[in-house]
Amino acid sequence: MPRLHKPKMPGLIGGLGITFKTMLRPAVTVQYPHEREAPVTRARGVIALKEENCTSCMLCARQCPDWCIYIEGHKEQRPPRREGGRPRSVNILDRFDIDYALCMYCGICVEVCPFDALFWTPEFEYSEFQIGRLLHDKVKLGDWMQTVPEPEPLEVGAETKGKK
Amino acid sequence: MSTTDAAPPSSFQVDRAAMRHLADAQVNVELDTGDMILNLGPQHPATHGTLRLVVRLDGERVISADPVIGYMHRGYEKLTEFRTYPQITTLINRIDWLSSFANEVPFMTAAEQLMGIEAPPRATYIRTVLTELSRIATFLLFLGEMGLQVGALTPAFYGFRDREYVLNLIEAATGGRFHPNFNRIGGLKDDLPWGWIAECRSTMKIVLDACDDFEDLVLGNEIFRARTRGIGIIPAATGAPYGVSGSNLRASGVDWDLRRDARPYLAYPDLDFQVWTHPDGDSYSRYWVRLQETRESARIVLQCLDGIPAGPIMAKVPRIIKVPAGETWVETENPLGQMGYYVISKGATGPFRVKIRSASFSNVSILPWLLRGVYVPDVITILASLYFILGDIDR
Repeated sequence: MPRLHKPKMPGLIGGLGITFKTMLRPAVTVQYPHEREAPVTRARGVIALKEENCTSCMLCARQCPDWCIYIEGHKEQRPPRREGGRPRSVNILDRFDIDYALCMYCGICVEVCPFDALFWTPEFEYSEFQIGRLLHDKVKLGDWMQTVPEPEPLEVGAETKGKK
Repeated sequence: MSTTDAAPPSSFQVDRAAMRHLADAQVNVELDTGDMILNLGPQHPATHGTLRLVVRLDGERVISADPVIGYMHRGYEKLTEFRTYPQITTLINRIDWLSSFANEVPFMTAAEQLMGIEAPPRATYIRTVLTELSRIATFLLFLGEMGLQVGALTPAFYGFRDREYVLNLIEAATGGRFHPNFNRIGGLKDDLPWGWIAECRSTMKIVLDACDDFEDLVLGNEIFRARTRGIGIIPAATGAPYGVSGSNLRASGVDWDLRRDARPYLAYPDLDFQVWTHPDGDSYSRYWVRLQETRESARIVLQCLDGIPAGPIMAKVPRIIKVPAGETWVETENPLGQMGYYVISKGATGPFRVKIRSASFSNVSILPWLLRGVYVPDVITILASLYFILGDIDR
């Protein structure tokens, strides 16, 4: 037989004691628009794009579980670096859009990016009144780069180094 | 003139055996009252989502209850067939959204079994800690919400307040409050941040204190006892054939916990913990068992934190994950009960077929049996004490 609860005093009074105890403690609520908590460093708020690192390889767009990344790019011929060399072809990013109305915030795109062009930032205040405006283009995604936090140190016993 | 002898006007089955033992059946015969069909839901505050109950009432008594599910069906079993293994983690987070991390573990274990790799011990321990944290978060919400359903508003606020501390921990480690998406095949995405273990230890003290508070505030309350004692009794012999699992079955006295009894998974074989059961099987005992399990989970977390080994958090896995052909079944003890995935792989980047066994789906299948003959206010109490998540039912 398990130990059943045996109240020492009438339960209603005991419960009132707990509410009274809680009443004396400071409130834990945060009055959001007036005061705000800083989100944790790892919080997945919004994705920032470092445009110069992107080669429009489409890995992120293909790995996205709901395909909310739209990439268009073209190749351009540039003059060779050395005399007599072959002309270089560089990838120019025409369009890089993330539709945050569809995004599931899984972070697969950030992980698969082989050129470190995508970063998580903990910013979260970008709600809109129109759903179409949640489609962030490469300029807006580039602006988020300012908010990318420094990688934090890891717990004791961790072997791997912090990402980036 | 007798209504009990008349044929039921619709397709609902009237259980005459249940009717006969109703205390006021005779009164109804004399007053010649008709039955009433009441739709509880799909939008009803007491159903935690879009569960619809078609309840056939005789006065205040329920003659029959029919759960209508599927309003939130998202077709995850089919969606998984068109996703790769890393993408599926994102989806299965959303099956039982209150304990997302616990959903990931069995699927990742299944994929790892098929690939023949094993997560390093450090990853296994961190997985165990996060699974238990999600269990605590789920149960703290239940401990508060159950009070709400019997008319006590105070514990609901306490439950949400204390759960927030646990969710903050999960967010600090994984980056997501609700959808961690932290498991990878062969380990974890990242190691814990600096200072997380110390913070977790202090939060577990808050959780243990909160459990004491709930015990005095809710379990000790005479009104709560009157509303839940002897209400919604599931006998062990009935619950098990219906597929009821987890705390609901342990509250009926069945000593069955997959953390201890299933094929060993995570770090549970190394840990010392107790499986709580209660012989009664009523709403009260379901609350009691979950309260004890919250405490036990906090103790498991503290044990794990002491024993986290140093080392890597990822095994060696190829960059493009292709799972060899084969099939496997992995079941784990989730906060709501037995959760299992039957994964069939044909050697591609994604599974060929995934069967998801979610706990709530089987737990609500007992509702037509359980709600027969109870009063309408007790329907709400029983629904709350069974504690299902609609996403877990409808998938």
